Amino acid sequence: MKKGLTLLLIFVVVFLGFSPVTAEAEQEVTITVWCWDPSFNIYAMEEAAKIYAEIAPHVTIDVIEESDVEIKLTTMVNAGQTDALPDILLMQDNSLHKNIISYPDTFFDLTDSGIDFAQFADYKVALSVVNGRNYAVPFDNGTAINAIRTDVLQQAGYTLADFTDITWSEYLKIGKDVLDKTGKPLLSAIAESPGLLMTMLQSAGTWMFDPNGEVYIAENAVLKEIVEVYIELVKSGVLVQVNEWDQYISSFNRGTVAGTINGCWIIGSIVQQTDQKGKWGITNIPKLDRAPNATNYSNQGGSSWMVLASSAHPEVATDFLAHTFAGSVKLYETILPSSGALATYLPAGDSAVYNQPHEFFGGQAIYADITAFAAKVPQVSYGLYNYEARDALGNAITQIMAGADIDAALREAEESVKFLMW
Amino acid sequence: MSRIIRATKYLFLSVIAFLSLFPFFWMLNSATNSSVDILTGTLLPGNHLGENYQTLLANTNLIQALWNSFRNAVVATIASLIVCSIAGYGFEIYHDRVKDRLMVILLLSMMVPFAVIMIPLFMMIGKANLMNTTTAFILPTISTAFLIFLFRQSTRGFPSEIIEAARIEGMGELGIFIKMYMPIMRSTYAAAAVITFMSAWNSYLWPLIIMQKEASKTMPLLIANLISGYVIDYGVLMLAVTISILPTVIIFLILQKNFAEGIITSIK
Repeated sequence: MKKGLTLLLIFVVVFLGFSPVTAEAEQEVTITVWCWDPSFNIYAMEEAAKIYAEIAPHVTIDVIEESDVEIKLTTMVNAGQTDALPDILLMQDNSLHKNIISYPDTFFDLTDSGIDFAQFADYKVALSVVNGRNYAVPFDNGTAINAIRTDVLQQAGYTLADFTDITWSEYLKIGKDVLDKTGKPLLSAIAESPGLLMTMLQSAGTWMFDPNGEVYIAENAVLKEIVEVYIELVKSGVLVQVNEWDQYISSFNRGTVAGTINGCWIIGSIVQQTDQKGKWGITNIPKLDRAPNATNYSNQGGSSWMVLASSAHPEVATDFLAHTFAGSVKLYETILPSSGALATYLPAGDSAVYNQPHEFFGGQAIYADITAFAAKVPQVSYGLYNYEARDALGNAITQIMAGADIDAALREAEESVKFLMW
Repeated sequence: MSRIIRATKYLFLSVIAFLSLFPFFWMLNSATNSSVDILTGTLLPGNHLGENYQTLLANTNLIQALWNSFRNAVVATIASLIVCSIAGYGFEIYHDRVKDRLMVILLLSMMVPFAVIMIPLFMMIGKANLMNTTTAFILPTISTAFLIFLFRQSTRGFPSEIIEAARIEGMGELGIFIKMYMPIMRSTYAAAAVITFMSAWNSYLWPLIIMQKEASKTMPLLIANLISGYVIDYGVLMLAVTISILPTVIIFLILQKNFAEGIITSIK
């Protein structure tokens, strides 16, 4: 009798213990995702949902368009209302470190989730690693490109090859010659934006913070070299400064400048001007002459997918990402042609779709080229106060262009970031 | 001589009018052009209006967002007009020293920026299970120090003899407010309505945080989404902006005369 009872008890425990697991496997699960661009990341997410529907039909992916993901995240985490957060959200790479450090335990640790981070560009993975743990699946590529009007170069007697693997001093020299012969500057940049300076910084594997997270602006010799290059670019007329983003886009759409250096996502704005079809080419960016670790590769912008720790089904969300953005070349092949959403998922670079010639760029296989650039971008840590440092540098460059002393302006920038950190 | 003065005046006014109207012209004109044409600075109307409209409809939930904005703004306007006019009336008609001090404290609250109270407000709304609702949208704005102040100032010009006469006739306090005060003060109501409707219609930060569902998005959120991508379609953006200002323009035109009167009486 006792034995019978014990058996029954064991049976009940085993049955109860296992039942939720079997139920979970068949239960309908909805994974909510926040991202913001209908023609780009929302589209990519919807395509990923289609791929995952074949693998796990019981999972529904609900994509919600959110323009200010960070404000919402900050408010909800501060208010302790994490149940209103989605399961997955897209985060700007510039803010990854800040949010992971500021809100510990908010994001799901993906280190041992089975996602193979070695398949992504190293620099990109490093942006979401804090204390050796991975917190995001890299998504769109911000690899820096030097996009140039090949027809203008031809007029001046140059080719794209003359701009490949060169230094900034060579770039300046050719740039002045192109300006003399064609009247067109090679670059435009928004006057108060430090974007181009940041691109140059990362190309030399350095940032505005040292490895300990301390501000590294005033004594940063590389940064000083960059500022000098920038001044020379502006003074020589090779770079024209504009005031706004739309003026910047307009400068190459109108053809007043013969090129641009930015994250590869700028392609989307270049190809809008169909009159210039076949007249563009893409190569790597110039490298600094003196900086010790200078390279011809860098990054500007980009974003990554994060799983929220507050999610009711973090394993399902992770499994979804593992099978799509971190495991499906097919996904990247699907989203590339219409959205230009370039992967940092390196296996995608070998696919036939990535190697197809792009008519707008004179038949160049630009996507394969850019994916190859991505593998060589130096790693840096953007740190907790990245945006504050960017703003400070933006102010410094405005002052320097107005005639202020470089050292004094950089020192002031460093002090203002230190003040904000304090 | 007077002709020269007149000509100068007209010239001056023309310049000011041009400066005020050009952005509107630019907006309307851009709505008919493609993004590249806008960026290359065209001033001529284009033929991309239909295309922009199709893109806008395909990429956004335009009708839903318009309806959400409209419903939220109308409910918020009616609710805050009722609450603030009663408060303003009360502060002026039944005033004593305590109420005057209270009014000063109320005015000080205008100096607290919204960002400061945002997180506690969000917690309250979240705990009350009001996320994604019109109620959540209007609750924080239903009573504003500015509107109460506007009504209190305007009530100064309301003849107290009317109230006394009505009381003698045996009319109750609520009756006096509804039957005497409200009709006479309609220009103040009109001014307050325009101000409240506009701020509710344009409000961004608060709905951004509390409206979590796609179906509860408002127009400012929709427009913000249009400029958050890597590539901005300026034609579609300008069309969305044009559509979003129409309701405020219409309401302003209807209430224009009363609006001016209302503002003038309150600053007398």
